[in-house]
Amino acid sequence: MVKTASPPLPPFGLLVERHGAELHAYARRLVDGDADDVLQDALLKALRAYPRLEHGRHLRAWLFRVVTTCAIDHVNRRRRRREVVVDAVPEVPEPPPSDGATFDGLLDGIPEGARRALVLRYVHDLPYSQVAARLGCSPEAARQRVSMAVRSLRERLR
Amino acid sequence: MTLDMRMLERLADAAARGGLADAFYDTVDTTVGPLLVVVTGRGVCRIAFASEDAEAALAPVARLVGPRILRSRRHIEPAAGALSSYLAGERSELRLPVDLTLVRSPFQAEVLAALTAVPRGSVTTYGELARRIGHPGAARAVGTALGRNPVPIVVPCHRVLPSTGGLGGYGGGTERKRLLLELEGVRVS
Repeated sequence: MVKTASPPLPPFGLLVERHGAELHAYARRLVDGDADDVLQDALLKALRAYPRLEHGRHLRAWLFRVVTTCAIDHVNRRRRRREVVVDAVPEVPEPPPSDGATFDGLLDGIPEGARRALVLRYVHDLPYSQVAARLGCSPEAARQRVSMAVRSLRERLR
Repeated sequence: MTLDMRMLERLADAAARGGLADAFYDTVDTTVGPLLVVVTGRGVCRIAFASEDAEAALAPVARLVGPRILRSRRHIEPAAGALSSYLAGERSELRLPVDLTLVRSPFQAEVLAALTAVPRGSVTTYGELARRIGHPGAARAVGTALGRNPVPIVVPCHRVLPSTGGLGGYGGGTERKRLLLELEGVRVS
């Protein structure tokens, strides 16, 4: 058997120990009071998919994506519930498991600089110093752009 | 930084209910220091002393048992409670189901199995153990196999001493070996 150089999957619990607090903080920024439920859903979803991942690279970024998707699903479910109550339509069809909202789709419309900063930070998993270097701005400005993108994301999730 | 205990236990409960956990682990405070205890559905599969690196101890569990390993004190009971009360001298027997998935060679499996015939309070030697499994002269290999015992204390490799006297080696350090033997009433100079 040919051994690949891919890093093996670390124990899932160690990922939670390393990134749990920042994922929780991120979930709080996206969905306020429902952060516990969203994070729990996200970690269970991640756990279900975990053994099928092909390698142990970019796991932090992957977890952030799962939390983002779960936050979107959560808000969509909440919105649908609200619509049902408001419209009181009797034959509401069973909602599809996901209505196609994706991380990339969600990012459309966020100002370019902020969007790039968010992707570099959370998808490419770069520290602020490197985000700044890629964007040609100061680390503080990079931090502000990421923060602006998260605020913008949060507005869309409302 | 990790999540608080409440969130971790909630995640572990939900994972267990959904059949999504390969193993659970946590650190247990005992009289011989903190122990990392890993438990699967079959039994205790790894015990590591504080002197060992926890990540290094968990890595083979992820590789050989499965990567869905979660921290949870609740889900490593009753093994955790049994270990800490045994090491506090509150119980004289330590009978726990073990999961020997991490034992990869038939020779090591034989050595560890032979240890079950060495009861609490008694000791044997590497050479005697080698003879017992039909490999006289393989004392050194027996020592190596014991050094890789994934579940020390439960599989009592501390009861094996060199025939030349003294304590010999121990994964958790010779002082811990002495403590474990003293707990069983064995004094080694």
